[in-house]
Amino acid sequence: MRMFKFFINLDKEEQWLNEQARKGWELTGKSWGYEFRQVEPKELNFRIDYRHFNNREEFENYRVLFEDSGWKHVAGTKSSGQQYFVRSGEAESAEIFSDEASKAARYQRMSRMWLSLAVVYLPIIIALATSGAVDASALLQPKELYYTPGLWSKTGTEFWTAFAWETPFALFRGIAWLALPILVVSAVVCSFKASRLYRKNFSQ
Amino acid sequence: MSRNRHLPLTETVYYILLAVMEPAHGYLILQKVEELSGGQVRMAAGTLYGAIDNLLKLQFLQPVQSGDSRRKVYVITEKGKEILRLDYERMRHMIQTTETYLT
Repeated sequence: MRMFKFFINLDKEEQWLNEQARKGWELTGKSWGYEFRQVEPKELNFRIDYRHFNNREEFENYRVLFEDSGWKHVAGTKSSGQQYFVRSGEAESAEIFSDEASKAARYQRMSRMWLSLAVVYLPIIIALATSGAVDASALLQPKELYYTPGLWSKTGTEFWTAFAWETPFALFRGIAWLALPILVVSAVVCSFKASRLYRKNFSQ
Repeated sequence: MSRNRHLPLTETVYYILLAVMEPAHGYLILQKVEELSGGQVRMAAGTLYGAIDNLLKLQFLQPVQSGDSRRKVYVITEKGKEILRLDYERMRHMIQTTETYLT
């Protein structure tokens, strides 16, 4: 089974995964959504770290350290950020962090990642806006987005057919660029939320 | 005289540096820290990984060649030994001072 959900709060995400296991859905991977397999309902202890790695060797070294300590790596890639571990019988503790500071530091890394994503897209928006490639006035004059000659003097079925045909293209011309500012704003919001969680957890 | 800004070391950092006087991989460091501290310091994998990452950046330890392709092996650097010695002296002074006052 595949499920789509989005978390900033890793503690809540861990709880949700443990609840899913209690319902008989065990996490097996995460790429395009969470992947679960059906099992007998059971108590599992999922824990999530947040890290990116420069190379395969370092990622392997990281996973092996957790494995040696009794934590099986179930999902996450070298550059996914979230790293999902499930406790196996050998793990001494039920936690992958032994102090609050290192546990909270996950949110600091997450906040920085979201912020750098926003920063990466910002020049593209500035370039689009200053080069005139984006014309915000089209939002006020939607008729200008339709290129079919004589479209607005057509009537009846002929008009509606031509209109319906061109609308997807017009929408693309007019508002596709909006995806970029939306992406940047979302990334800034995520960064802010992660940063707030960092401060909240760090001060505890 | 200004003191080294990395002082005092935390208990975990102090024991990690002691643990890598001899080359050791991550899990071995975990076990050594527990042993050296008489069972007082038990680090979890995520915390240790972050601490090693930080100590590498500070150049207090460095990776060394090993026969194990999956596990990186670390050893203390001269800079790491220096900071360990400074912290040791700091604590020795504290102990000596305490002994004259607290008996």
